[in-house]
Order: sequence, then structure tokens, then C-alpha cells
Amino acid sequence: MVLLETLSLRHEYDGRPVLIDVNLRINSGEVFALIGPTGAGKTTLLRLLDLLETPTFGNIHFNGVDVTNSSRQRAETRRRMSFVQQRPIVFTMSVYDNVSCGLRWRREKNETIRKKVDNALELVNLADYRNRNAKKLSGGETQRVAIARALVTEPELLFLDEPTANLDPVSTAKVEEVLARVIRERKATIMMATHNMSQGQRIADRIGVLIGGKVLQIGSPNDIFCLPTNMEVAEFVGVENILKGTIINKDDNLVTIQVNSSTVQAISDYEKGEAVYALIRPEDVIFTLAKNKTSARNVFEGKITKIASVGPLVRIEVDCGFPLLGVITKRSAEELGLKVGGRIRANSKATAVHVIKRWA
Amino acid sequence: MIKKNLNIFSILIAVTVILSLLIGCAPAAQPAPPSPQYPVHAPLTRFKIATTTSLYDTGLWYYLEPMFEKYADVEMDIIYAGTGIALEYGKRGDVDAVVVHDPAAEAQFIAQGYGINQRYFAYNFFLIIGPPNDPAGIKGSTATEAFKKIYEAGMKDPDTVKFVSRGDNSGTHSKEKLIWSKAGFNYAYIEKSGKWYIEAGQGMGPTLMMASQQQAYVLADISTFLAYSKKNNLTIVSLVEQDPIFLNVYDAIAVNPDTTKVQNINIANKFINWLISPEIQNVIGGYGKAEYGRPLFFPLTDGSCKMEGCPPPEKYTTPVQ
Amino acid sequence: MNAIWQGFLKAIELILTLNPEVLEITARTLVISISSTIIAGLMCLPLGSLIHFHNFHGKRTLINLIQTFYSVPTVAVGLIVFLLFSRSGPLGFLELLFTPQVMVIGQVILISPVILGLVIAALSGVDKAAYETAIAIGASQFQATTIVIREARYAIYSAIILGFGRAISEVGLALMVGGNIRGYTRVMTTAISLDTSTGDIVLAVALGIILISLALIINFSLSRLQQRWR
Repeated sequence: MVLLETLSLRHEYDGRPVLIDVNLRINSGEVFALIGPTGAGKTTLLRLLDLLETPTFGNIHFNGVDVTNSSRQRAETRRRMSFVQQRPIVFTMSVYDNVSCGLRWRREKNETIRKKVDNALELVNLADYRNRNAKKLSGGETQRVAIARALVTEPELLFLDEPTANLDPVSTAKVEEVLARVIRERKATIMMATHNMSQGQRIADRIGVLIGGKVLQIGSPNDIFCLPTNMEVAEFVGVENILKGTIINKDDNLVTIQVNSSTVQAISDYEKGEAVYALIRPEDVIFTLAKNKTSARNVFEGKITKIASVGPLVRIEVDCGFPLLGVITKRSAEELGLKVGGRIRANSKATAVHVIKRWA
Repeated sequence: MIKKNLNIFSILIAVTVILSLLIGCAPAAQPAPPSPQYPVHAPLTRFKIATTTSLYDTGLWYYLEPMFEKYADVEMDIIYAGTGIALEYGKRGDVDAVVVHDPAAEAQFIAQGYGINQRYFAYNFFLIIGPPNDPAGIKGSTATEAFKKIYEAGMKDPDTVKFVSRGDNSGTHSKEKLIWSKAGFNYAYIEKSGKWYIEAGQGMGPTLMMASQQQAYVLADISTFLAYSKKNNLTIVSLVEQDPIFLNVYDAIAVNPDTTKVQNINIANKFINWLISPEIQNVIGGYGKAEYGRPLFFPLTDGSCKMEGCPPPEKYTTPVQ
Repeated sequence: MNAIWQGFLKAIELILTLNPEVLEITARTLVISISSTIIAGLMCLPLGSLIHFHNFHGKRTLINLIQTFYSVPTVAVGLIVFLLFSRSGPLGFLELLFTPQVMVIGQVILISPVILGLVIAALSGVDKAAYETAIAIGASQFQATTIVIREARYAIYSAIILGFGRAISEVGLALMVGGNIRGYTRVMTTAISLDTSTGDIVLAVALGIILISLALIINFSLSRLQQRWR
């Protein structure tokens, strides 16, 4: 059931377009992640959806009702949603008072408020912080207070704007744990903006990619990360091998693509002669030294041009007629004795190669 | 947290209420009862007068105020101001009567139609006070001679011989200007003639203090001088006293209800008549005798004022109608 | 200098004997200054919020103007109020001149710029996102405004305390519009002024010491409360 829908949403600041032709549907009960680079317009979109601002053009429907323009309707609908900001503001009062604000403004009874607040604090693991001064909390604790405050009013739709963007890894883990719990126990509809793709991958049911004010792709995490439908999405989600080529042969759904002086085999429905990009994720590149019998249809021989350590992994850049990027563990790198300038074999399965149309 | 706020607020408010009740118990609070034929008590009327600093500084008003309040069953407000502003209050109708001692200014006030029913009720004298060593040698001179000597000595040696003037257009200041002009000087010239002439611009008290500190000559009325020397150590002493020009007469003038917006003309008339009534004249004459050894004011109705400048008898014997 | 020591002794004497006139003057001083502070506070808090939360042409100029009036001389305000309420002035029919009531009115006029300006400054010091956050949580405009005022409360208390200080310490206005009438409009500052000019230096010093002590005690108590209310 569609809870929130936007129709041709467009928003401008000082004449400058920030969101262009956004058409989104959020389904009841799902977790929708909005990913995109900083400045893509994620916060703006979230604020428009929470009815904090009126869009320049376009409509927003909540439960089938157009709530775009009537300020009374907006205020009413806004009360059925909650928003957790990137850097949440807490007021100079106790954690309990902060969380109970929304309920007090809705004139609920003290007894009811106490119960709901205690439940919410329990949910975010802040039950012991009840009487602490909210201004004196750490970033992660503040985030959790904001989440509790947002949840306590039992919203139908919860917006989270980059909930862990400013947190250290330990606090991030705590907040994600809370979010997971919330998702499990509350079955609320959640829309979350993040530039942390793996977070989106882990938590979301569906992902929307917002780049340059436009929603370029909406789909399941797998669709987004493995089957990006265009270049910009591909680049953003970390598909780093984007090979320009043309299909020279097609056999069932196995296509052969001419890339420079090499060929790449992939699975695709595109026709012979089509201009395409072959996309290979670095993680799908397998390095070998000898001509091992792997099930990979694609074997590229080349010279190592760059070796870089990234955390526990090693990125290898190979020149095999075109630049190819792969990622292996440090251990494997040591075992293979990889050095810059050394010769190496890069293998990739046909199924790991994703083909998208290339517009000349 | 909100409860704590309420508590403190209620304490503050309670304190304020208690304090305002305290104010209600001020010593000048009025007793109520009317005479039996008036079953409903008339609202408390406030009778306002403006009086000059000289009269005030002696404490005479502190003495007379409760007496008149009881006599007339009103609340009397005494506003203490220099002659200039006192008459201005009268013109504006902000006070019901003025009690000053500046003949020239009063005459103008009455001529302009703002003052009526002028009656004189007391007199005393000015005197010239100065340093005990009397550098200008004025002791024993007349007023005009003394002023002349002060001027000449001051021009010659402004660091030793100085004169402090009220400089505030008060009654005392007017008297000073009169003496200068009688001595043959143009006052405007005197004002700027040298640093021996100091303008205090303040009431009689601070002017005396200044003269005392500067070891300068000063013109003051006897009552303020006596009252002031008792309270403070003045290093200056009386030097020239006997001179008709020093006559200082006090009078009360009612503010004219036809030219201003005053509403208490009846009380003003009552007040003036009360001041010249024999009983009060006695009180005025006896004021300060015990404390200072000599009276501070002389009543007029006993006819003792016979020198030049004394007001005609009807001005202090005939009650106002 | 001797006068100060003697004044100090006199002050103790006046307090210990609970001298009725001093008590009366002190009480009146407090009532007038506290009343004007409360009235000015009640007026300027909503007004300051209105100005702060709305944007309009000339807002900056208005705030500058308000700040200009922080240091308007008390005698100047006194003179204007006197001319207004004099029987021959436009508000003379109210018969308020030389009464405690007009002194309160005058003090309200005097301290309002200070309280108003500082309330606006206090509200400006609160993060703009606080208002938005409240709205997002579901507050009405009024409720969100209240929250912002609450967030600024420490600075707002300072504004009130300062307003009170200016009210209780001023002489010029009290003298001009009150008339310093014994038993009716005499307050500590005007009493000190009078005693000085009649030569009662010791009494003036005593009253001065009492006034300063009073102001210190009140300020100290208010500051303690302010800390507790953080």
C-alpha cells in the first residue's frame, strides 16, 4: 500500500533547481534508503516529504490525499510523521523532558506519556539516561535521544537524515543496532537518507539513488549495487571498472564485447552492434599468477600499475589494454607476491559483468 | 521543574504584596473619620504645594505638615524645588500653592495671572558669611559695601578672596543680584569678571558646603545657615548681618484656578489663612528657639516687621475670602 | 572619609532600630522598582519575541534604535514624562503627576529598551534549528516560540536583572515625576539626593549603604535562582 507518493516534484532555491522531476513511492512498512553524494538534495527531499517546506512545483500525496498546499492539512499530516535531523537539536532539559515534548504538545495524559517515553528510552538503550541533562550527551547518545523523541509519537512515517554521518564507528554501530530493533519491533515505515552505501545496503528494503537532484534509479540493494542502470549510479555505487565497448557477438544471452583490443564476455539482452558499458565490481576481479583453470570466462593479462592499501584490503590496478581495478585481501596479495610492474592475470566471470547501454 | 518555578514566583509575589502593605503603614497615613453629618467619607484629597529649598532645609515643613493635614483633613504633598521650578509647577497647575521668597519672580507670577491671594507669613534675614580671617575685611560693613570690598579684593587676589553664588535663580540668588545692583554693579559683568566669583548652581546646603571648603564668602538666609551649621562642620562664620536689604520675607500664593487646571483652590485658601492665623504664627515664631538658641523665623502678624521692604499689613492680616 | 564610617554606623543603627521612615522608603523603593520591572518584562518578552521571530523591512534599524536607548539619560526621560503628565500636558487629566504610579510608568519607559533589546539578543543566541525542530516534532507556532524562549532563559533572566538594576538605581526620573514627597513618593535614591543637599551627609551615606546592600542582596538572590533555573 502506498503511504507517500510524490508527483513530478521540483524544488528550487533562489531560482536554482535543487530537485528535478522526482517521482517516488514509499510503501507502507518498508525501509527506503535514499543514497547519493553530499549536496545531491537528499535533505531537501526529506524536508519536502516531511512537509516542512512547500515544493516549488509538484504534488505530495499521503495515503492518497494531496497534502501539498493546504497549511492546515500539512500541519495535521506532519503530526503523523517524525523527522530525525542529521545533527539533532536537543533542548536544555532532561532526556525525559526532551523525549516527552511531542506528547506534551499533543496534550496527552501524564501517565500515558510516562509509559510511552520509558518504552522509547528502553528501545534506544537510554533508560538509564532519563534524568540526565540532554545537552551534555555525546553525539551518538544525542542521536538516540532524537530517535526516541521521534518514535514516541508513534509516527506512521519516520524520516532519518544521515543518522550516523557524524558518529564514530562505535556510536554508529549502536545507532544501527537501535534502528534494526526499531525496524523489527515497530514495523514503521522508514525513509532514511545516507551517503554510506553499505549502510543502505544492510538496512534497506529498497534504495533510491539521488544524484544531482534527480532520482536516477530505484530498486532493491542488489539491483543498485550490482545492476546499476546508468553511469552516474554505477560510479556512485563503486563500480569502478567501467569499460567502453561494443557488442560484436551474441550467443543466446552470452555477449562478447569488444573493449579496445580485448574482448569481454557477459550476460545481457542487448543486441549485437550496440554500444555498451561493461561494468565489473573490483570485488569480482580474481587475481591469479598462472594460467589456472578457473570458471571465469574472462581472463585478462596485464602489468600491475598500482598497489594501494585500503584498510585490510589491497587495491590492485592492472593495465591489460584498459585499466582494471581489483580488490584482494592483504594476505592473498602477500601470497601472490604482487609488486608494481609484475605480470598478473585478472579473471572475471561472465555473470559478474553487468552491461548497460552507452549513449554515444 | 515547573513546580520549582511556581514556588519561587509565589515567594516573590508574596514579598511584593507584604512590602506594599508596609507602604500603606507610612507615618503620613491619614486617619479617616468625617464629621457626623457626612455619612459617606469623602475621598482623600491630595493638596500639593511647591516650596523653596530654604524653607525646607530648616525642617519647618516637617513640623507644620502634620498639623495642617489634621486641621484640614487632607493629605499634604510638599514638593521641594527651587523658586524657578516651583513657580513653573504653579503655572502648569501641577501644584495648588507655592511658598517662595522671591519678590520679583512672585510679582511676575501674579501679574501673569497665575497666582492669587498672596499672603506673607514670616520673615527673617539674609547674612553674609565668610572665612573667619575675613581677607576682604567686610566685617561691620553694610551689605553693599561688603559686596564692593569682596569684588575689589577678589579681582586683586582671586585665590584668597572668593564668593560662592547660588547661581540657580532662586530667591537667595535674586537677593544677591539685587545687592550687586544696589552696589552699583552690572550683574552680567560680575558673573564673568573673574575666577573669584563661583557659581554653585545648587541648593543652599551644598552652596554653603562649597563656600566652607573654599573658604569663600557666601550670602545665605539665617535659618538655613543655622540649621546647616548644626549638622555639619562649617568653617565659615557670620560676618555681616544688620542691613535692611537683607530682609527676607516668605509668602504663600494660591494658584489661580481660572488660568490653570488646579482643583483645590478652597484648600489652598484654607492653607493660606491657616498660615497667618495667630496660633500658627506663634508656632512659626517659636520654631527652632530651643535647638538653635535663636528663632529661625519671625512671625509677621505681631507687627514686628517695620523696616523698608516689609509688606503692608493687609497682606498678612486679612484672611482670604 | 569620616562621613563614610559614620554613615556606616548610622546605617546599622537605622536597620537595627527598624527606623519606620527608612523602612517605608525602602519598601516603596522595592515596590516601585519591582513593579516596573515586572510590567516591563511582561510587555517586552512577547514584544521581543515578535520582533525576533519575524523578518520585516527595517528590523535591523529598529534593533539599533532600541539599543541606542539603553543609555538614555534618566533625567531626559523624567523631563518628557513630566511634560506628558503635568496638568497642562496631554495626559494631565489623569492627575498622575507626583504619584508613585507615574514613577512606575516612567521607570517602565526607562527600562523597556534595555529589557527589550536584551531579550532580542537572548533569543538570537538560540540556534535557529531549535524552533524548526520543535515544529517538526509537532509544536504549534506558539509552543515552538515558548521552547525557544525557554532555551534562552538564562540570558533573559540577565535582561530582567539588568532592567531592575537600572530601575532601582535611577534618580533623575523619580525626582522629576515623583516630586520626592515625604511619605508618598520618596524613594531611596531621591532621599539620598535630598539629604545630601540639605547637608545631612551622614544620613545620606547611611541610606546609600542600605541601598547598595539591598541591590546586592537582590542581585545575588536572583543570580542564585538563575543558576538553579539553568
